[in-house]
Amino acid sequence: MLHIKCPHCGLRSQNEFSYGGDATVKRPELNKEVSDQDWDNFVYLRKSPRGKHLELWQHISGCRQWIKVERDTLTHEIFKTLKANEEI
Amino acid sequence: MTLISALNHIHKTGLFGNHENKNEENLLKVSEIKNLLIVQIVQYKNSTVLFENLDIDSLKLNNEPLSVVSNNDTRILWNGPKNWLLVSTKKDLLKNIIEAFKETDFAVTDLSHSRAIIELEGQDAKEVLKKGCPFNFNILEKNNSINSTYNGIAFTVDMIDNNPDKIRLFALRSFGESLYHSITDASLEFGFKSL
Repeated sequence: MLHIKCPHCGLRSQNEFSYGGDATVKRPELNKEVSDQDWDNFVYLRKSPRGKHLELWQHISGCRQWIKVERDTLTHEIFKTLKANEEI
Repeated sequence: MTLISALNHIHKTGLFGNHENKNEENLLKVSEIKNLLIVQIVQYKNSTVLFENLDIDSLKLNNEPLSVVSNNDTRILWNGPKNWLLVSTKKDLLKNIIEAFKETDFAVTDLSHSRAIIELEGQDAKEVLKKGCPFNFNILEKNNSINSTYNGIAFTVDMIDNNPDKIRLFALRSFGESLYHSITDASLEFGFKSL
């Protein structure tokens, strides 16, 4: 069981959170020509790193805010948590 | 129209569980709280209004995590950033809230009929909560509130008093009976008086 420090509420159990995927994926810019390949990569292509990974989580049973979590996928160690609009 | 409370079909008064040979005064008390005004207030992200200047029943909104501001009738619980839950015995307060919080800056939603409220009172109240909720209740003090889950049911905890512990639990009305079942089941070990 992980304990995640929500930047809004403090240290809480993983039970209260919902995983939201890779936080480094950037949406193609609006009103610009996007190739099928770029769109396909944005929608489907994800890295599966062994080690540090920046992830989105939602504190669904708490403050309901989206947050960023830097976590090691191998050891599950959590290095840092940020508000969704903050950069690492 | 007759109002039927959320726990009307499940809440029965009496003594239950391991209550024998125990002083009734010291037993955990479980009750349903009805007829409260419950209003959710959310400030929009692009709003520039200073919520600190707004006043409800002589109370100011506080954006501090876990905080509750209160007087004898009204409690305002922090639910998230710029998100509060107002609970009051003054039913006519809704009109004042709608007037004070302009709809261009705030979303005000009356949730009075969509929540079930259970109140626990007694020294074992926190022990009952620890059995189903992952939050560390040892750090929860008087006038703190949290959102969490109890046996998977999302609920809000409002710590009203700490001598003895008096805690109010809010759940979605449709989950009220399930939460009541979970809470009373966990309380059997201590014995409880249902009011």
